[in-house]
Amino acid sequence: MDASLIFAQFMSGLSRGMMLFLIASGLSLIFGVMNILNFAHATFWLIGAYVCYTFWHLMQGYGFALWLSIPLAAVTLAAFGCIIEVVLIRRVYNRNLPEQLLLTYAMVLVLDDLIKIVWGVSDKLIERPPLVADPVFIFGTPFDSYFIFVILIGIAVAGGLWWFLKKTRYGHIIRAAVFSREMVSALGIPIPRIYTGVFALGIFIAGLAGAVQGPVGSITLGMDMAIVIQAFCVVVIGGFGSLLGTFVASVIVGEVYSFSILFWPEGALVLIFIVTALILIIRPWGLFGTPSRA
Amino acid sequence: MKFKIIAVACALVLMGGFFHVDRAPAAETYNLGVDLARTGAGAFYSKDGIDAIKLAVKEINGNGGFLGKYPIKLFIRDSHTKPDVAVREAKDLILRDKVRTILASYSSACAVAIKPVAEEYKVLHIAAISNSEDITKVHFSPYTFSVVPNSYMQAKAVVLGVAGLAKKKGWKNYVTIASDYEWGRSTQNNTVELLKQAAPELKLKKEFWPRLGETQFTSYITAIMAQKPDFVIGSIASKDNVTWIKQAKAYGFFDKIPYPGSLISVSELMLQAKTLTRGLVGLCRAPFFAHMDVPMMANFVKNYRAMYHQYPSDWAVMEYDAVYALKQGIEKAKSIDSEKVKDALKGATINTTRGQLYFRDIDNQLSCSSYIGVVADDPKYPFPIYHDLVEVKGPDSWRPKAEILEARAKEK
Repeated sequence: MDASLIFAQFMSGLSRGMMLFLIASGLSLIFGVMNILNFAHATFWLIGAYVCYTFWHLMQGYGFALWLSIPLAAVTLAAFGCIIEVVLIRRVYNRNLPEQLLLTYAMVLVLDDLIKIVWGVSDKLIERPPLVADPVFIFGTPFDSYFIFVILIGIAVAGGLWWFLKKTRYGHIIRAAVFSREMVSALGIPIPRIYTGVFALGIFIAGLAGAVQGPVGSITLGMDMAIVIQAFCVVVIGGFGSLLGTFVASVIVGEVYSFSILFWPEGALVLIFIVTALILIIRPWGLFGTPSRA
Repeated sequence: MKFKIIAVACALVLMGGFFHVDRAPAAETYNLGVDLARTGAGAFYSKDGIDAIKLAVKEINGNGGFLGKYPIKLFIRDSHTKPDVAVREAKDLILRDKVRTILASYSSACAVAIKPVAEEYKVLHIAAISNSEDITKVHFSPYTFSVVPNSYMQAKAVVLGVAGLAKKKGWKNYVTIASDYEWGRSTQNNTVELLKQAAPELKLKKEFWPRLGETQFTSYITAIMAQKPDFVIGSIASKDNVTWIKQAKAYGFFDKIPYPGSLISVSELMLQAKTLTRGLVGLCRAPFFAHMDVPMMANFVKNYRAMYHQYPSDWAVMEYDAVYALKQGIEKAKSIDSEKVKDALKGATINTTRGQLYFRDIDNQLSCSSYIGVVADDPKYPFPIYHDLVEVKGPDSWRPKAEILEARAKEK
């Protein structure tokens, strides 16, 4: 087996990892700051894909249709996230985890039905623009050009989030709120508004991830449930609330999955869960998490 | 005064007649259950099937229902493409809705799970999309019928085509990719076994098993390309198939590696009309365009298009045939009693949109064909269809009776 094929497999794993990162980063952010385990996160991701389809469908005669639909879908989801936070999520901040899970799982059921009502049960397809329709050749090995775009988006979101949390005043406030809500509140900063903003940001990223997923295959009901477990695995491995951890864990999961397909196809999915279980046993707070969050 | 009394008496008599009519027992309905996937991986195919069932019911009810006097009442449930849910819904359909027949199912795992439930309650069960041969081959239930070419028949059809191509092109090895569930496993196993018999010189290099519901096949695509096989055989269905084909195409996969005889149903032909690679050799189960010369098919296509503004997929064709198979069974039995209908359908010859076919008595499998062709544009349709279509007849492709008996003997 030559190096170019190993490289191709690595790139496949990286693209899978970046897709997982896009989903899991919002999940991790919301949990890290708000202590809310949002089981419906992947459903927002799916809605992002459907909303992207709608925008694309309206503009499909134009070359920029997909490129404009992706940010529009993310912004739409962020607005939707604001409403959900104010109407529902805000009411369970002080409840215990099972109640939060019950609410967010109920949201999965309601949102899935909403999808059925709005978009029906037929699969939706977004056609790729010519720029990302054909393969690119890296060291002589073909690679889906759209996944180059996925990898770039993943890196951009990771960099953007890092910059936002580390370098901006709003980011500093969010990080401070993770450790002491009371102190932030005592400084006169309205915590509810911070939470609404963080939830909207998390859902924005979920919407962006869904929109980016749209042209990958067909958009269909049930996709959210297929991906949510892997997203949780990523967050557990990386450590709840750790952006760096989520990024590293996404790449690990993507690469483990990709290379196990090459060498041990039957065990690809099992390996991910074995890694997750091992991390939970050895380091319950994840690779980059803190013990207080475990 | 007398006139008033007579008038009131007449009015009372008329009212009595009116109320009498109103109180007459309503016509007995034939409760027909549908246990198909409205969500999950199977929703894409099942929607067309449900639409076709509704159309068939509308047509039959337009003539008074079964036997002209039993209007059909439909009860549609969502199996979520999960066997446990499918079984729960099947039981509910039987116990609460008192259905006499259940039309199912997208997933073979669901069909296999529903089969013993239907048998226990003596309710007819017709599989019209799911096609693992285990639905009718082993653990045989006289209440379960299949109107879809089963996985063995489809595999045999593929093998006949692929073995010929392998000889012609000098192919030596291949890999398989199949969805990791009942149908994928069953189809892949049958194909590999039959290929061993038909072309023993072909070597299977590796098997890939993406999970049902996979959204990203990139790692599978690069891993398959790393194997450098002479050809690939795939057993992937529904939305997974759409995703697989779309992603593989973006890698230039089909330009590099032949991918003959994998499932590309009319659903995929329609959905990927613009993007599907022309020249692919695909397999399907019930393409309407192969039988437009059959009046029942022509009529069905006309009515389906009028109702839903699109052409029917394989899944629509087969579910439509399932309802009409039931109708003909009831007419032959002259009764809606499931025991009698079951006996009437055993070995029966029926008219379908795919022509006149019969149920084999040993396994209640319809003698329906499999179809292999080359994806190509056609001026008659707004999507590609199959050209050079080869129809492999049911009796030429189904498992020999002796092997079925042997398999059943082993299970004891």
